[in-house]
Amino acid sequence: MTTTTELTISRIFDAPPELVYRAFVDADQICQWFGPVGYSCPYESAHSDAEVGGHQRLVMINDDDPTDRSTIDMTFTEVVENELLAGHQDVQGIPGTTGTVRFHMRLEFHAEPGGKTRLELRQGPFREPLGDDAVQGWESSFTKLDSLLRRSL
Amino acid sequence: MSAPDQLSVIFGALADPTRRAILARLADGDANVTELAEPFSISMPAISRHLKVLEKAGLIARSRSGQWRSSTLQAAPLQEATAWMEQYRQFWDTSFDRLDAHLRRVQQADAEQAGAEQAGAEHGTTQRTAE
Repeated sequence: MTTTTELTISRIFDAPPELVYRAFVDADQICQWFGPVGYSCPYESAHSDAEVGGHQRLVMINDDDPTDRSTIDMTFTEVVENELLAGHQDVQGIPGTTGTVRFHMRLEFHAEPGGKTRLELRQGPFREPLGDDAVQGWESSFTKLDSLLRRSL
Repeated sequence: MSAPDQLSVIFGALADPTRRAILARLADGDANVTELAEPFSISMPAISRHLKVLEKAGLIARSRSGQWRSSTLQAAPLQEATAWMEQYRQFWDTSFDRLDAHLRRVQQADAEQAGAEQAGAEHGTTQRTAE
């Protein structure tokens, strides 16, 4: 029986690690691809400081309903340029909730033959006992994710 | 009770390695407390406490009749938890499809810029030669 508590994704990108890494740490660039179609990440609200102790903050807003928004605040604890970004991510959901969900995040950028990059993403845990605030945060985040996913289908 | 409340209970129950091992054992078939305690160096009361947590999370059902209560794995809550994480996976997959397209644009722009710089350099050389 498998009881996975951590999300792991491995994916090959047809670009060298320097470019893929930059697409994650450059605020302007991450805003161009992060989140499903139908949501925008305003450049003026984005902040990215990829160094140990630095933050990356993004706001994701529904194009059709500006009140539908999420904020993602990543704190970096490990940074190796073009190779590794690790830290924790505080995700806040829709207005009206005070909840924040904290994930640990690890992104490894591995060079592959032919100028490609293998990205290894680990995010979790999906198992820790949560306080009331966090439960609210989960609820709002996943309500939002639900709507995100419906829109992206 | 909203769904996320139940999910937090489920994830709390899954956070313990002994409880995960108990679930793995039950995946092979129903078992009573004695059978479940066998592989572990902990007391039966401790196993009973773990079973209560799993039961509260809806991950197992325990028969109420007889001296030896038998535990049965309940798969549905696990499927709910898994489905939840799958939504995150889909979120990333969708974003990464967009990242693919973004990287193609960036590489194309870099190539065009490199081409323009090369053309400029050649032009400069020609000019210097002419001087």
